[in-house]
Amino acid sequence: MKFSLQRKQLCIPYFLFLILFVVLPILFIVFYAFTDKNGYFTFNAVVDFFTSTNKINVLIQSLLFSVLNTIICLVIGYPIAYILASKEFKTNYIIVMLFVMPMWINFVLRTGATRDVLTRLNISGGEHPYLATMIGLVYNYLPFVILPLYSTMLKLDKSQIEASMDLGCNRFQVFTKSIFPQSIPGVVSAAQMVFMPTMSSYVIPEILSEGKIVLFGNSIYIGFSNNQWNSASFMAIIMLVIVGISMLITRNFTEKEEGGRASRW
Amino acid sequence: MVKKIFGYSYLYLILLLSYIPILVLIVFSFTNATYIGEWNGFSFKLYADLFQSEEIIIALGNTVIIAIISALVSTLLGSLGAIGAFYSKKRNRAILESLNQIPVVNAEIVMALSLVVMFVAVGSYVFHEQIFSFWTLLFGHVVISAPFVYLNVKPRLQQMDPSLYEAALDLGCSPRKALNRVLIPQLMPGIMSGFVLAITLSLDDFIVTAFTRGPGLLSGENNIETLSTLVQAKIKKGPIPPELRALTTIIFLVVLIAVILITIYNNKHKKVNKKRRTY
Amino acid sequence: MENKNYIIELKNVSKIFEDETIAVDNFSFYVRKGEFVTFLGPSGCGKSTTLRMIAGFDFPSKGEILLNNKDISNLPPNKRPINMVFQRYALFPHLDVYDNIAFGLKLKRIPVPLKDENGNPILKLDKNKIKELKREISLTKKNKHLSSEEKETKLNELEEALKVAKENEVQAYKYKKLSVREIDEKVARALKIVDLEALEDRDISTLSGGQQQRVAIARAIVNEPEILLLDEPLGALDLKMRKDMQLELKEMHTKLGITFIYVTHDQEEALTMSDTIVVMKDGVIQQIGKPKDIYDEPKNAFVADFIGESNIYNATMIKEKKVRFLDYNFPCVDEFQVNEKVDVVVRPEDILIKNKGEGMINGVIQSKIFKGVNYQYIVLVGKNEVMVKTTKEYNEKEEVGLEIEPESIHIMKKDFTTNIYTDAWINKENEVMIDEKPFKCNILQLVEGGKFVDGEIVDKKNKKYDFNDADVVAEVALDKIEIIDDIESEDALIVGEIVDSVYKGDHYQYIIRTDSEEDFVCVSNYSYNLFDKVGINIKPEDIKLRLKKEVNNYEI
Repeated sequence: MKFSLQRKQLCIPYFLFLILFVVLPILFIVFYAFTDKNGYFTFNAVVDFFTSTNKINVLIQSLLFSVLNTIICLVIGYPIAYILASKEFKTNYIIVMLFVMPMWINFVLRTGATRDVLTRLNISGGEHPYLATMIGLVYNYLPFVILPLYSTMLKLDKSQIEASMDLGCNRFQVFTKSIFPQSIPGVVSAAQMVFMPTMSSYVIPEILSEGKIVLFGNSIYIGFSNNQWNSASFMAIIMLVIVGISMLITRNFTEKEEGGRASRW
Repeated sequence: MVKKIFGYSYLYLILLLSYIPILVLIVFSFTNATYIGEWNGFSFKLYADLFQSEEIIIALGNTVIIAIISALVSTLLGSLGAIGAFYSKKRNRAILESLNQIPVVNAEIVMALSLVVMFVAVGSYVFHEQIFSFWTLLFGHVVISAPFVYLNVKPRLQQMDPSLYEAALDLGCSPRKALNRVLIPQLMPGIMSGFVLAITLSLDDFIVTAFTRGPGLLSGENNIETLSTLVQAKIKKGPIPPELRALTTIIFLVVLIAVILITIYNNKHKKVNKKRRTY
Repeated sequence: MENKNYIIELKNVSKIFEDETIAVDNFSFYVRKGEFVTFLGPSGCGKSTTLRMIAGFDFPSKGEILLNNKDISNLPPNKRPINMVFQRYALFPHLDVYDNIAFGLKLKRIPVPLKDENGNPILKLDKNKIKELKREISLTKKNKHLSSEEKETKLNELEEALKVAKENEVQAYKYKKLSVREIDEKVARALKIVDLEALEDRDISTLSGGQQQRVAIARAIVNEPEILLLDEPLGALDLKMRKDMQLELKEMHTKLGITFIYVTHDQEEALTMSDTIVVMKDGVIQQIGKPKDIYDEPKNAFVADFIGESNIYNATMIKEKKVRFLDYNFPCVDEFQVNEKVDVVVRPEDILIKNKGEGMINGVIQSKIFKGVNYQYIVLVGKNEVMVKTTKEYNEKEEVGLEIEPESIHIMKKDFTTNIYTDAWINKENEVMIDEKPFKCNILQLVEGGKFVDGEIVDKKNKKYDFNDADVVAEVALDKIEIIDDIESEDALIVGEIVDSVYKGDHYQYIIRTDSEEDFVCVSNYSYNLFDKVGINIKPEDIKLRLKKEVNNYEI
């Protein structure tokens, strides 16, 4: 029993770290969200937020951008992941790496480059803020979608696909009845990689729309820079709630995956 | 056949599209022009400018230092956390796992804001003047990378034959030796990929850096400037400064070489049979 | 002392896991030096846990493990002169064959006695022993499973030993590594023993299953352990390879002369290889003996069924040395009480086929399977099936006579005659709670001449009773428990898993275990597989109740 005790103890530093730098800070913003500048309890930030059409609009606009970005990335990325993983197409590891490589080039630089190229193509943020921002978002998040989809596709159960053919499915049915259902965990984790980061993205909308489009991330950033910590904290809480809701929605899928892994051991 | 042609064209089209901005920067890094799209003849002047620009060199240095230190700390914390959690009771493991999941799913800006709020609230009691420094920045970066190290090490632990550790004890290892000689080597691929991911996350980070940085490192008395914060400040006002195009080319080449080296190493490692021992 | 010969001895060892499951229950047993001992039993019988306690991966909750008469119960595995061959080999994938085998040798330290310039031994306090004793004391203090007296005696002993160690100086040693040459030689020798010369530079992943198996054995024996533990080492090999390895292991055992403790669920493996077999079930030893004794004289129906094929019947002793089963009174040699219900076991090869009318009983051959060496017949005698193995050929549907020699009839005490639940109780609705689930029952049987008057229980003397919360003992006969296939249906009062099944000629006897580890023993004509989930139904009139306290405690 002694040696298992020692191995267990290895996680204590990390546990303390998480408590101190993850849990505690969140408790702090909860505290700030419901207090005023002098530390007295108040619902001011809450009332402020829900009575400001501006802030509500930002929230709705961010949600729309996130949903749209997630869908576009999935629509573009899914076939790519499928082709990369499929045996039919003899793609190799290098091409997969090529798709992922832009991730290692500083994303602020890439965002700037995208903007400069778009401006050159007359899709400047000044004139077409929505389009420019959307292109920038998709461009940035596409690799994050391809990667989880690709690794799920690699694990597709080939015999299940063959079985569905054997049982009389045509190509389309093979896809809808076997391939797609099997790839759902990948779709879910891909969506997770895009949805929340889009909502909270700051640099991309700021640069590409030349400051015309404010997403939720920008809004928190602005609140923070203008020393409105209480309202920024409350907006952060709204984000936390959205994170929680999206976790609840996706939980069923990810848990299944976990369970499968755990049961093997 | 039609399907294949269609598939390949789609693949390469998207690939091309996603490289256009980078390629444009690379191409126009070899000419001395203020804006992209203008070609004033082939020149290496931008590269010379780049190496003379103190602020870029400082930012680059800061970025690399922070990336390496924060990745080392994250790898240590995350790996040990994963090992410890794996051998803990189910309930304790579940607790740690959900705590670990918070920074992963949470919006980066929320993490950044919450850290700053705490640093200020606690710091104003402890350090009266200067709260933010290299250390707060380091903590910020570790918060965003360590959970990913954990997630990279965990599957290696799950796939590992649980008797390996016991076999090491059985053959005479003390628990500490068993950890060093068997467990860690077994987890090495996971630890390494966690480390690489931690570096990537740190290199690319803007939000947490912008929120938690203070003076220090190569920036001296000024707030620590990293590549992200520097570039952001520059491009907010206008197009990408010309010498940054040269920087993009260099970064691209470094990444390309790294990817090629890693691929070669992986392939070799699989095939080569070690030669050894002739005593 | 007589037990000088024992290399390892387990004294009343129990292992209770954190979730309160009892993996090993009061296990006592010894191994002689050089013996080949096999722990045999179905999965979950505690055989692996016992092995792991000997190896040091688990520590006993109670009892002692003695190695050469020294208590090693709480010694960590790296301090025991015992090595193990793991089920899935557990070879280190990051090391090659040589480094895997040399792993233990590189860690080994040889004690060299320290001497001063004059050649006199240097004396020092034995720090290791003091540390060891201190650790043991703290472990003993934390042990929840010992009674306070047990703890006190053990602590006193340990404190005494600690005092002695602290006061007396002993020969001091320095510890030397093995030289590279020594390691090389030992590895080469081990590779030769397992027939793997010239493979030392190979990566583990390039080896076949059989080769990995050999490396695992070499890695263990190279350390020259006093005991070699083998945890189902052949489980992952295919049949042919397994048979070859069995013989090789046996040969290795003879050559090396060290003690082997082998764990398997394969009865044939156990019978071929072992000097002694320990048959286990549910953490309890069922029988210890030589392979032949266990095969010929199984102690109970479980052992008989688990080892080899057998016919098992319900029988009754009708006279001294006369037992009745298959509707015939067979002469036998075992002595049991007259009228006692017993189990009878007859091995298929011990039954002789005669012409019709010439044997003790008559039957019809129902099926015939050629098994290579002999034929296996199923003969229908009345409603019972009898399995017979013989080299002679008979035809299907042929009527034959059967004869069984008295020595071939093995009579055993019955495992179960009835289900008894001692921690049952009565709930508000006058139902009996068995395994914390309500069963309808005839509550009136608890009082003489009981009847319901206005919803209250009244006896013949008009005394009223309230049995709410009363502790009772519930008894249900084996044939009164009905198995329900549809576990969703209302008839399925309790759901459990089939954990044991024995075929008894014309019916099966099953043990159904619920999630809370309550066992229901029942009989059925239908065949179920192990681990099938089934429901159970008991009719109210079939539950016999007995109050734990006097009936007048419940009078109102």
